[in-house]
Amino acid sequence: MERAGGARCGLSSALRAEAMEEHDQGSDGLTDSEESIYSGLEDSGSDSSSEEEAAEDQDSGAEGELKGGSRSTAAQARKEQVPGTSRSVESGSSLPLLDEYEEDSSDEEDVRNTVGNIPMEWYQDYPHAGYDLDGRRIYKPIRTKDELDKFLEQMENPDYWRTVQDKLTGADVRLTDEQVELVHRLQKGQFGDVNLNPYQPAVDFFSSQVMVHPVTNRPADKRSFIPSLVEKEKVSKLVHAIKMGWIKPRKPREASPAYYDLWAQEDPNSILGRHKMHVPAPKLRLPGHEESYNPPPEYLPSEEEKLAWEQQEAAERKLNFLPQQYRCLRAVPAYARFIHERFERCLDLYLCPRQRKMRVNVDPEDLIPKLPRPRDLQPFPTTQALVYRGHSGLVRCLSVSPSGQWLVSGSDDGTVRFWEVISARCMKTLPAQGVVRSVAWNPNPAVCLVAVAVEQSILLVNPGLGDKLLWGATDQVIEAYEPPEEERLQPVTWAVAAGTEHSRGVRLIIQHGKPVQQVTWHPRGDYLAGVLADNSHQQVLLHQASRRWSQSPFRRSKGQVQRVLFHPLRPFFFVATQRCVRVYNLLRQELAKKLLPNCKWVSSMAVHPAGDNLICGSYDSKLAWFDLDLSTKPYRVLRHHKKALRSVAFHQHYPLFASGSDDGSVIVCHGMVYNDLLQNPLIVPVKVLKGHAPAQDLGVLDVLFHPTQPWLFSSGADATIRLFT
Amino acid sequence: MAQLQARFFTGNRKYVVDDVPFSIPAASEITDLSNIINKLLEAKHEVHKYVEFDFLVKGQFLRMSLVKHMEVENISTEEVVEIEYVEKYTAPQPEECMFHDDWISSIEATEEWILTGSYDQTSRIWSIDGKSIMTIAGHTEVVKDVAWVKKDSLSCLLLSASLDQTILLWEWNVERNKVKALHCCRGHAGSVDSIAVDCTRTKFCSGSWDKMLKIWSAVPTDEEDEMEEAANRPRKKQKIEQLGLTRTPVATFSGHTEAVSSVLWSDAEEICSASWDHTIKIWDVETGGLKSTLTGNKVFNSISYSQLCRRLASGSTDRHIRLWDPRTKDGSLVLLSLTSHTGWVTSVKWSPTHDQQLISGSLDNVVKIWDTRSCKAPLYDLAAHEDKVLCVEWTEAGLLLSGGADNKLYSYRYSATTSDVGA
Repeated sequence: MERAGGARCGLSSALRAEAMEEHDQGSDGLTDSEESIYSGLEDSGSDSSSEEEAAEDQDSGAEGELKGGSRSTAAQARKEQVPGTSRSVESGSSLPLLDEYEEDSSDEEDVRNTVGNIPMEWYQDYPHAGYDLDGRRIYKPIRTKDELDKFLEQMENPDYWRTVQDKLTGADVRLTDEQVELVHRLQKGQFGDVNLNPYQPAVDFFSSQVMVHPVTNRPADKRSFIPSLVEKEKVSKLVHAIKMGWIKPRKPREASPAYYDLWAQEDPNSILGRHKMHVPAPKLRLPGHEESYNPPPEYLPSEEEKLAWEQQEAAERKLNFLPQQYRCLRAVPAYARFIHERFERCLDLYLCPRQRKMRVNVDPEDLIPKLPRPRDLQPFPTTQALVYRGHSGLVRCLSVSPSGQWLVSGSDDGTVRFWEVISARCMKTLPAQGVVRSVAWNPNPAVCLVAVAVEQSILLVNPGLGDKLLWGATDQVIEAYEPPEEERLQPVTWAVAAGTEHSRGVRLIIQHGKPVQQVTWHPRGDYLAGVLADNSHQQVLLHQASRRWSQSPFRRSKGQVQRVLFHPLRPFFFVATQRCVRVYNLLRQELAKKLLPNCKWVSSMAVHPAGDNLICGSYDSKLAWFDLDLSTKPYRVLRHHKKALRSVAFHQHYPLFASGSDDGSVIVCHGMVYNDLLQNPLIVPVKVLKGHAPAQDLGVLDVLFHPTQPWLFSSGADATIRLFT
Repeated sequence: MAQLQARFFTGNRKYVVDDVPFSIPAASEITDLSNIINKLLEAKHEVHKYVEFDFLVKGQFLRMSLVKHMEVENISTEEVVEIEYVEKYTAPQPEECMFHDDWISSIEATEEWILTGSYDQTSRIWSIDGKSIMTIAGHTEVVKDVAWVKKDSLSCLLLSASLDQTILLWEWNVERNKVKALHCCRGHAGSVDSIAVDCTRTKFCSGSWDKMLKIWSAVPTDEEDEMEEAANRPRKKQKIEQLGLTRTPVATFSGHTEAVSSVLWSDAEEICSASWDHTIKIWDVETGGLKSTLTGNKVFNSISYSQLCRRLASGSTDRHIRLWDPRTKDGSLVLLSLTSHTGWVTSVKWSPTHDQQLISGSLDNVVKIWDTRSCKAPLYDLAAHEDKVLCVEWTEAGLLLSGGADNKLYSYRYSATTSDVGA
């Protein structure tokens, strides 16, 4: 630009050489600022840092002085004004500046347009292009050249290509070779400065190599080896937060399955699911002999059958064709009903029932109720411990003393034997005239009496066993009886035993007119009931031992009475006939309940010591358990025995009951009755006890539990009594 | 497994062999091992008579082949087995068979005499060599138990308890061979099943079916104790029954809920009683209090106490003999059960001289001799009885006695004192 300014001076210098000389300072500032750009490019190495730091005015002044110091007085004068700065610059770059001055032309106009940095179009319509420092107009050079002139100039002027117009002043400027070179370089994208090497070798100050000397020789800070308090505080805060649970460990990422079964959750009963149900097509009947072309003669219809077939309705016919015989397969004609048959098949398929038959697959094991294992229900009798031998006939009946020390048994050999339980020792034998049908030890521990049913009488026997005081007192009570003044009408006769019978222990004899089947005591031990083999209403008689008084409680016979039993706690009386068990209320003298065991012939009966449950054995080998509060039907019927049941028994304390049967076995069951009325009794068969040999088609005739121990007595047709423990 | 490393040792100096491990066949039985020991002894001593040995592995008698025993007992076969050997107990030699008229309910023997109680309501005194010396009749019911109180050369005191609820104290004049009922002990309200005399021989204890234990004085006096309920009993009856002077109990212990089946003195002032209520109770006589209770799950028939090993053996209404430690406070601790009988164990008796041997009688007609070191199998079975065995006895002189329902009293000579006693 400076050069351009210099080239242009040919025009302007003539006009305003003086003026420019006068106002050197101002115009110099303008050009100087422009020049400074280039000088920066050209002499970047020469610029000193002190010059950059100088103020704008000073800078421009200094620049002006640099260039124009030798050529103008004004510049000279100003150079003197600021001698410090110029001098320092001169001293730094004296040689290149000299060169520059030599080349620089002194006629360079110094026209400064003061309009500033505005679009020059604004001056398009004016003859001037702006104002100089003194406010005078700078006129645009007169451009009267037409196209032809331009062309001619283009043709003639060899420097035309390097002539550009300065828009600010409107003057044409011819670019110097350096400027052209610069433009070329910029166009190529190179650095403006020729001397600048863009690829200078890099120096790694901080490299991987460990140098002998440190980069800095500064001693290490104290903080570099003392733990930071701030960090400690931060860490302690974090630790506290972790302890308090404010910071929680990052949750493990939930392992979401990458793939999932699209149809896994689908409801099979949904509309779509229903289509999955496959209904198989009804099967066609397989062809038989009658469909053969040459059926066996028995398949060929006779004439009457043919006639009957033809007269039948089409729907009623068993076969929808008539079997026919052909000589050979070749002779079989075309099947006339083919289309018809296909159509019927289509109807079958179309009309086949679409309902699915649900077949229930039940494991039979699941239907069996879960019962506890017998091992967990101990104690119960498991093994035969003792055999009581001595009887010579089948032992029909058993009874045990309330203390559990003595056992009494009655046999067909006409004896009643008293045994010591622990040693199987027969302590006493009481001969009786006839078959002993029933024995019953008085349940009252304060009385020592045994009721024995022999033939047509009931004997009350004092066995003389146990505490002497007790049986002595019993004898005294019997002896101290005083007959009432007026004779009462009784169905039986009471007699006092005397002589040898008395010495054997018999104290009282109740003589009936009929054979006595059974005798049983009331739990209090004063009343006893006897059953007679009779069909009249006097089958059951109640006796009061202390008053020697008997009565017949029933007015009418309800069937053959098998067994009678007193309720252990309440005034109830159980009467078992062949088909049912009647429960009478003795206080109100009425029928309380009628139990239906649903068996053919009741043989035996036992009542639970709590009184709410009754078991009933029958000759058709069934054992019925009644819950008296529940129903008149059996709660449970057990059919474990193979032959008729002869006897059933409950244990007084342990939850056990037993049944003896003609098959020679005794089955012990766990029969737990809960206090909770809502809970049904638990019945578990626990043990089959075998020991008795069947004789005369009879096996076990009586079973009985020991009053205190979980022991079981059984008497059999093999003339033995066995104790199972 | 063919060979085992075994080292033999014994407590008997007479039969010591070198303490070196031997390699012996694993399947060897007692006889094989016995042969080995005898060979070794022959090599060591010039004169050696063949001796049969019994072998113990970890305190258990060898009763099968060695390897099987070790498998059962869970002993490692890798290491050297320590086998103790003792001279084999010689089998009991049957001596006498004493015939009674009825079942024998109880036996008690001294060095010279045997006292038996029988179901024919009598007690009998026998000499050791089986001669009947005396029959004592006086009870009106079965004699359930008998006991010696004092044994003297001139006169002896003895007791018999009966089902007739009394215990009679008899004085037996040996020289003149006369018995005299000194006292009739009344007070029980049930059959007296068991009596036991204490070590000072001045008092005895009785257990009865009426659930009571009563302590009585065993010293004969000339005075008659007053019966409390004598007034309300008919006079003539009392006269008839009376045999000797009436004696009343010194103390009564009640606590059992069922019949007391067996009593014994385990110490000077301590009574053990077994009952049908499945318990063994230990009582302090001085204070009259209950010390502890051992609870079983079966009715007890009989108990026996050994002063040597301080253990109780019990026979109950099942097949097992159980050993108890009466000193444990919590009770219900069975140390060991010996099982081989097939019927109820009616009677057990510890050896008075050997701390590990006992004898038992059972309803399966067999008497068995046991060693607690072999609880699976007894040492010997004595199967002479033809009916239930009801009572057994073991005297200090090494006489085994058993009586039963076949009316016979068998006696055996048995010496358990061979080798390791006191060794």
